[in-house]
Amino acid sequence: MSRQDHIREFAAKALTEGRVDYFIGWKQGHNASEVVPAFVKEAAAVDQLVWNELCHHNLVTFLKRNMPDPAGAKIGVCVKGCDSRTLVALLQEELIDRDRLYVVGVPCDGIIDRRRLEKEFADEIVAVSCSDGRVSVATRKGNEKEFAKEEVLLDACTRCRYPNAVYADDVAGPPVPEPDRDGAKPDWSDVAGYESLSDDEKQATLEKVYSACVRCFACIHVCPVCVCWDKCVNRSRQPELVEQKVGTKQKLLFQMIHMFHVAGRCPSCGACDRACPVEIPLYLLHRKMNKEIYDMFGFEPGTKLDEKPVFQLFDVNDRFGD
Amino acid sequence: MADTTTTEAGGAAFEAAPGGNAAAGANVAAATGDSGDRPVKIIGIVCNWCSYAGADTAGVGRFRQPANVRLVRVPCTGRIDPLFALKAFEKGADGVLISGCHPGDCHYSEGNYYARRKFELLERLIHHLGIPKERFKWTWVSASEGQRWQKVVTDFVAGVEKLGPREGRAL
Repeated sequence: MSRQDHIREFAAKALTEGRVDYFIGWKQGHNASEVVPAFVKEAAAVDQLVWNELCHHNLVTFLKRNMPDPAGAKIGVCVKGCDSRTLVALLQEELIDRDRLYVVGVPCDGIIDRRRLEKEFADEIVAVSCSDGRVSVATRKGNEKEFAKEEVLLDACTRCRYPNAVYADDVAGPPVPEPDRDGAKPDWSDVAGYESLSDDEKQATLEKVYSACVRCFACIHVCPVCVCWDKCVNRSRQPELVEQKVGTKQKLLFQMIHMFHVAGRCPSCGACDRACPVEIPLYLLHRKMNKEIYDMFGFEPGTKLDEKPVFQLFDVNDRFGD
Repeated sequence: MADTTTTEAGGAAFEAAPGGNAAAGANVAAATGDSGDRPVKIIGIVCNWCSYAGADTAGVGRFRQPANVRLVRVPCTGRIDPLFALKAFEKGADGVLISGCHPGDCHYSEGNYYARRKFELLERLIHHLGIPKERFKWTWVSASEGQRWQKVVTDFVAGVEKLGPREGRAL
């Protein structure tokens, strides 16, 4: 039984038994090569749910505060390993009600970076299929190409430490092998390149990268752990903390606010990065933040349900500052 | 924006460091001489109970100190959002100095314990943004430590003056 069959079965069962009002999973998009979030309300409709290497959406986004509709709805949701960490981060701070959730953990072998594929072709991708570590892509004009899966994985997947859901009520199929987390520290080599730049080079890079930001709020809306999105300081006009001017300074400040406000909760799932319409590497920014948090506290956000995020706690024996 | 104007002390938020006026003239001249165009502007964010009073003690004690620091008084370091420092840099500050009660002495018992975790992360990420170490400092100064305040401010301002004003930066 494939993971997809498991998901459909769990969804059908929960809907039939009335344990959930609706079930959130992934379904095929209009485009054959794209997967979109699906909200299934009846057991008869579970066959639209899919699981494949394109299911990158973090569905926990739809659970965050003020989002569920109706307000008291009981919701079933599918989570990958990284998604489950955002869910646990919300549960740690009691920002969502565990009793209203039914969580299906989906063991994940890594998700394909569709944007990376798109850049390989001049025309539109119409089919993506994956088997035995090879990814075959076909375009509308008949171009076909095959890639090794490792080459086209999302950045977040290449260094994944939690391929299985950290917290789930049911698991869709046997878990994938876990990496050795106790023996090996997280690999932060992806941020080393930027870190090695001088101060002036960093400023120049930021200027170049962030001047593209259009402040569309996609990163903030899609972020599962950015929870006061309806009262965001980024939107506040009185007091006006981020000006409406469109300079790089304002754009950078906008992103920094997002980063600092999810510190200790963000597991760098990469949802912001994938949502960004101008392809700002937000993932790296959040990785850097998590690197420093790991360095300071040995803390990985959203991994243990009985833990509180480090910035909600203090220890009188902390050794920071002079 | 007030990027290039050297404001008179007096806005609701910015106050001249107490007692700093005696040294103002000499210092402004020195700063102008070093950096070419204008004296450096530094935003100090201090807690009401310790560091603001400490700055006052330094003033009452007539300790000479640079007048480049504009103080923003907050109830407690726990009130300081990392955003405050970034906002100051965005608005054209050349340096940001944060100070509060020593750990264990917080007027609200534990505000600064929470705060120092945030400041540590803030400091690391500010450097990640390409803002040099010398432009950001957080420390503890108690109400009675006028001399320590003088030293902290003097050393910090000297560090920032060495780099000069920040112009045309991303943040």
